[in-house]
Amino acid sequence: MTLSEKICARAAGLSKIGPGDMITAEVDKLYIKDLRFAKGEDPRGLYGVFKELLNAMGIHKAWDPAKVIINFDEQPARTKKRAEGQLTARKFQEEHGATIYQGEMGGIGHNVMVERGHVRPGEFIVGADSHSCTYGALGCFSTGIGFTETVGVLATGKIWLKIPQTMRLLLTGKPPPWIWGKDIVLRIMAELGPNGAVNKSIEFGGEAVKDISIESRLCICNMAVEMVALNAVFPPDEKTVEYVKQVGDGNFAAVHSDPDAGYESSRVFDLSEMEPFVATPGLPCNGQPISGARGTKIDQAFIGTCSNARIEDLRVAAKILKGRQVRAGVRMVITPASYGAYFQAREEGLLEIFQKAKAMVTVPECGLCVRPSLAAGEVCLSSGNRNFSGRMGDREAKIYLASPASVAAGAVAGEIVDPRELL
Amino acid sequence: MAGEQGIRGRVWKFGDCLDSGNIDGVMAGVDPEFRKKVRAGDIIVAGINFGMGSSSEHAPRSLKDAGIAAVVAESVSNIYLRTLINLGLPAIECPGISGFAEQGDELEIDLKSGKIQNLRNGQVKNFPPFSEHAIGLLSKGGLIPYLRASTRSAS
Ligand code: SF4
Repeated sequence: MTLSEKICARAAGLSKIGPGDMITAEVDKLYIKDLRFAKGEDPRGLYGVFKELLNAMGIHKAWDPAKVIINFDEQPARTKKRAEGQLTARKFQEEHGATIYQGEMGGIGHNVMVERGHVRPGEFIVGADSHSCTYGALGCFSTGIGFTETVGVLATGKIWLKIPQTMRLLLTGKPPPWIWGKDIVLRIMAELGPNGAVNKSIEFGGEAVKDISIESRLCICNMAVEMVALNAVFPPDEKTVEYVKQVGDGNFAAVHSDPDAGYESSRVFDLSEMEPFVATPGLPCNGQPISGARGTKIDQAFIGTCSNARIEDLRVAAKILKGRQVRAGVRMVITPASYGAYFQAREEGLLEIFQKAKAMVTVPECGLCVRPSLAAGEVCLSSGNRNFSGRMGDREAKIYLASPASVAAGAVAGEIVDPRELL
Repeated sequence: MAGEQGIRGRVWKFGDCLDSGNIDGVMAGVDPEFRKKVRAGDIIVAGINFGMGSSSEHAPRSLKDAGIAAVVAESVSNIYLRTLINLGLPAIECPGISGFAEQGDELEIDLKSGKIQNLRNGQVKNFPPFSEHAIGLLSKGGLIPYLRASTRSAS
């Protein structure tokens, strides 16, 4: 079995499973974002539907509060809906128990989950947000679930799932300096095309993996949902173990694919000669080497989101912005992905570098990823994960996706450039 | 309900890579008038990657509320597929469906045997049959009613 299949089999209490099998798995951990508690998707709200279900089932308590982690993705709440969601989440915590991250413990939920040690190799994790696939970077099975499924897991601790085929993506060659996770994943997506990994399980491998930082792996797995994959996973290695021990109690059982595991397909990506990548507006899989988009004028440069605003990303951006200025007429917004990254950046003097460069530094949250900031006709170069039309404002605005290095370089140049030109 | 007898309905065709933003408000991002044209029992036929992107349930619920009887697409994002089934609306992955069904055709779908018949020309197309579990969920009207019923009788 593959790594993902093994974790699913264990969670389903089965000794062997394969593609196409329908399993009912016991969840090791459930992540829920604050917005899911707002009265939006259902007029009764998640808690309302959940309470009705518990009543009907004749039970009183949520499945296992120790395994439920809630995060406030926007702080302070800027809409009534969000505020109501956060209040309801607190009520849920009081009545059923759960861990809530808020205030200066928080940031974007996915980053908080990882940095606070809630993600461990070998676990079966589901999250009430589509980018919960991010956690696979640490060698666990993790995927996003919807509102109704979240209610189901809260009540029963279980979820049904059809086991997908696994695609193996082998990364070879030594990536040149200044090639980051975002460049690698944009290239992979461009080569696979829009239908390349739909509902597959992705497993990374190959000798280049050892050279890819945990933060870049998190960015790569974050984009699995943009490939419409069910999940993506990096087999845990020394880097993983070191990271997990640093953020948590070091208590986990790593899982690896069997030597005779069955893969639907295998593809090789040689990273040795690669150029930074950028995705042109519309779809995240519209990637191309950055030279092809060189000279595209930008109005806004954004470093943020659960895809790319970790400490590694902030350090890289600071290297480019140090002693330089954001081009007049360009708004640059830097939103660290978590308070962990924010405080670390402050300690290292990075925030000051950003401010001296005339970038706006905001508090950690999802921020411009979902809050409209673009007018019709404006162009944004973003380190985020989605460039669908209308994602960051007017449908007639354009979003290009690139690494934080490329976004910082673009902010300085006022147009898309290869960040290596500014080194 | 869907899981028990066959589904029969009229086809509305859509393209590839429709993210949940486009689907929200009964396909309002693609055709703002669709909400008025669609009738309960109609079937949506779409291309690849139907429902990619956000896991928000606004979009799938809007289809359910409009009375869509089934979604058949070349491929459907996993979260979306599970969400639709959990809401009691069958979402079917059927490669080749775009060339098989045209706007206004009438289709008859059998989830158990994995067969779609185009009643205009009698042609039949196969898809991987639904598991008993999925049919069970659909026949109860979705995950929540299923849990309400099953756990009560189990305990
Ligand atoms: S940063 Fe953007 S993509 Fe990530 S969880 Fe927040 S809203 Fe979603």
